[in-house]
Amino acid sequence: MGAQSSVVILQSSGLAARRWAFVVGQLLLVLAVCLLSVSVLAQQKIVVLKGGKLLTVSHGVIENGVLVMFSGKITALGTPGSIAIPKGAQVIDVTGMTVYPGLIDSESYLGLTEISAEQSTNDLIEISDEIMPHMHVYDAFHAESELIPVARLNGVTNAIVAPHSQDTLPGQDSLVQLDGKSANDMLLVRDIALPLNFTGEQRRNESWEKRKFPQTRMGLAAQLRQAFVDAQDYADRWADYEKKRADATAKPDDKKGPPSPLKHDLKLEALLPYLQGKKPIVLAAQEPSDLETAVGLARNFNLKFVLNHISHSRPVLDYVASLKVPVIVGPIYEDPRNYERYDAVYSLPGELYKRGVKIAFASYDAHAVRNLPYAAGYATAFGLPHDEALKAITLNPAEIWGVADKLGSLDVGKTANVVVADGDPLDVRSDVKRVFIDGREVPMTSRQTELRDRYSGH
Amino acid sequence: MRRVTTLFSFTILGLMSLRVSAQQTAAPPSHNEVLIKNAVVMTVTRGNVQNGSVYIKNGKVAAVGKEVNAPSTATVIDAGGKYLTPGIIDSHSHIALDDDVNEATSPITPQMMMIDAFDYQDKAIYRGLAGGVTTSLLLHGSANMIGGQAVVIKHKYGASRDAMLFPGAPQSIKFASGENPKRVYGGKEQLPSTRMGNFAVQRAALVEAQDYMREWDDYDAKVKRGDKDAKAPKHDLKLEALADVLRGKLLVQIHCYRADELLTEMAMAKEFGYKVRAFHHALEAYKVADELAAQGVAIATFSDWWGYKQEAWDAIPWNAVLSMRKGVRVAIKSDSGDFARRLNQEAGKTMRYGGATEEEALKMITINPAWIIGVDDRVGSIEVGKDADLVIWDGYPLSSFGVPDKVLIDGDVYFDRALPGFGMPHYREGE
Repeated sequence: MGAQSSVVILQSSGLAARRWAFVVGQLLLVLAVCLLSVSVLAQQKIVVLKGGKLLTVSHGVIENGVLVMFSGKITALGTPGSIAIPKGAQVIDVTGMTVYPGLIDSESYLGLTEISAEQSTNDLIEISDEIMPHMHVYDAFHAESELIPVARLNGVTNAIVAPHSQDTLPGQDSLVQLDGKSANDMLLVRDIALPLNFTGEQRRNESWEKRKFPQTRMGLAAQLRQAFVDAQDYADRWADYEKKRADATAKPDDKKGPPSPLKHDLKLEALLPYLQGKKPIVLAAQEPSDLETAVGLARNFNLKFVLNHISHSRPVLDYVASLKVPVIVGPIYEDPRNYERYDAVYSLPGELYKRGVKIAFASYDAHAVRNLPYAAGYATAFGLPHDEALKAITLNPAEIWGVADKLGSLDVGKTANVVVADGDPLDVRSDVKRVFIDGREVPMTSRQTELRDRYSGH
Repeated sequence: MRRVTTLFSFTILGLMSLRVSAQQTAAPPSHNEVLIKNAVVMTVTRGNVQNGSVYIKNGKVAAVGKEVNAPSTATVIDAGGKYLTPGIIDSHSHIALDDDVNEATSPITPQMMMIDAFDYQDKAIYRGLAGGVTTSLLLHGSANMIGGQAVVIKHKYGASRDAMLFPGAPQSIKFASGENPKRVYGGKEQLPSTRMGNFAVQRAALVEAQDYMREWDDYDAKVKRGDKDAKAPKHDLKLEALADVLRGKLLVQIHCYRADELLTEMAMAKEFGYKVRAFHHALEAYKVADELAAQGVAIATFSDWWGYKQEAWDAIPWNAVLSMRKGVRVAIKSDSGDFARRLNQEAGKTMRYGGATEEEALKMITINPAWIIGVDDRVGSIEVGKDADLVIWDGYPLSSFGVPDKVLIDGDVYFDRALPGFGMPHYREGE
């Protein structure tokens, strides 16, 4: 297109000798535009994966399938006969391979830590107060973290990034994509949800000497109620203010005049979308007692919520099912309590699935995000059907986080986050061979592969 | 040295009597003769036997093969075509110590005996058992350059304390290096706070032990000459333990991460004339694998854990297989009650990261850790004469999907997934 319009300019440039310089300039411009077009085309080339076993997640398995990606999206997929391979497409033979949607980790700390024991590399949690909803993960997310390529190489393409859980309200999560030019590119949804942790871990009771409020669960709950009540009052005050201001504008002659300005409170403001039910709270509890207290709190304030962990709540799974909310399960490898059978936590995903609960797995880690599919795989040995395990790290989280129009399955129109492996995605023995994010094939290198290559030669 | 020898004979006698009584107080095996049939027998050392059988007599493997001769009185366990492996062996564990892992009050504490803290009722033993672990090496922690002496247990949960001790297992001692000792003591503004300090403390302790040995040698020589005035030096349990290191009586297990420190530890062992049995963690072993192989030092490492501290920053999941290919004996260990429950899955990862074969991967959690502990003549493979510590697996054991159906120790079923409650024939809660 650039080239054609340049030709028009060239023809209309006339014969005047003094215009030759201009013409040469135009030629250079044409050349530049052509080069640019070529590079844009190169980026937007059509890529076809041919011959693989497509695990679509949304509509079954397609053996010997064809999947077409263009301009960052999946543009076609199906059996070889049903899909015409576009001319000029880059065709990659993936015969014998498994092709599946990029995996989604429903709670990770990617980009908030580099080396756990080195405090200077950690931006995980602000522990100065328990109520910190105005902390935003996106303000700390380190796009160039060495941990991200490591996770990506195992097929994890998207993750919820959350703060650590030592605060009741530790700050708001973001949904990230594990490739992009910058943090801006990678942060798909900022402030996607707010964790509310009620596991006992948030108590400030490290020792009797160091105790401070809130030392108990009563303290934590009271503090939390006050925060939500304050936020409601704040919203009312602002509504009142806005109304009075509108009235003053409508009646400029009124003697009362406009109301006095209100101060902003970022902490309370951060709670408003959640009080209004616009975004979900991620409600973390472990034992039945904490679970029921936390659910009670959420209901008092009409919060929309998903559950998190509930690893030791086996006796109340029917109650959990009756809540009709999704559950982020795990970490599946957490030790059971001493009174629980060895497989109490392993079998939780299967038991929840049996009761019709939508589940998603999470790594609850930064360095071990790459092991997300193996946790799902292990749950299959304890009663979770294999297809459901894969769904719990793809389509289910996409639905839970409200991005199923873009992520979570191999479907036409979705973002081309696609993984190619030489076996079952959930098995430790399978090697991930290719990863596409936004239709771009990401290099299969990390700091770790570089070390491997440097030292495997000699 | 006579009196010391006498003193230590007492100790050894004490331990021996403990072991004798261990055998006596152990619950008598409910099945003297067991036949496991219809299994894919993964012997580890002699390949796989399809449709294989294992005949167990008096707690030992008596026959292995496609067809075995077993009396009709033997209790039959039909494995239903499932996989049968030796019990998993964890060469690095701190479970069942009730958090008494580190005597972190001095960087040299070789006289600590982990058996003194062994909490045989810890449910972590049961959870490991349910993950297929039958033997574990319970080590002192890594706060000290030279920590205490380990205890080797069999995961016979529900049995008595003494019945859980691995009879006749050699004594291991734990050394450590790197960040942990320097953090623990540096944090208290004590020596050591650097790696220089670490090794200076270790060297000084070993020199002190040499002096101690010379004092006793000198005394023994005087006594031999008939010197009636010879005065015996004081007994010092700490230096006596270090002397046992120098005498080669203890298996030296060293917590060590960085490549340079692996080399320094080997140099120090050479300087003082003892052998290093294994480096634990050894996340940078792949950088100096040739040197480790040349010295015959094994490693007990993680499959893919990394980045938790600076000295774990260069950890790569290919460490196990790269080191193995250079001739290093490699074990995958847990170092946690969590990993201990799925070491099979961890070993399976080596098939993907570097392409270990099935047998190589399996060795990393059976015969290789058995060698590190010094019990490879007793456990770690399915061979005639070895302890009948066996696991029947539901699913392929080196995958994400393999979990134990039944676990036998010394021929007796200690875990059976099909049973209600905790799944243990010999244990009921509250009894």
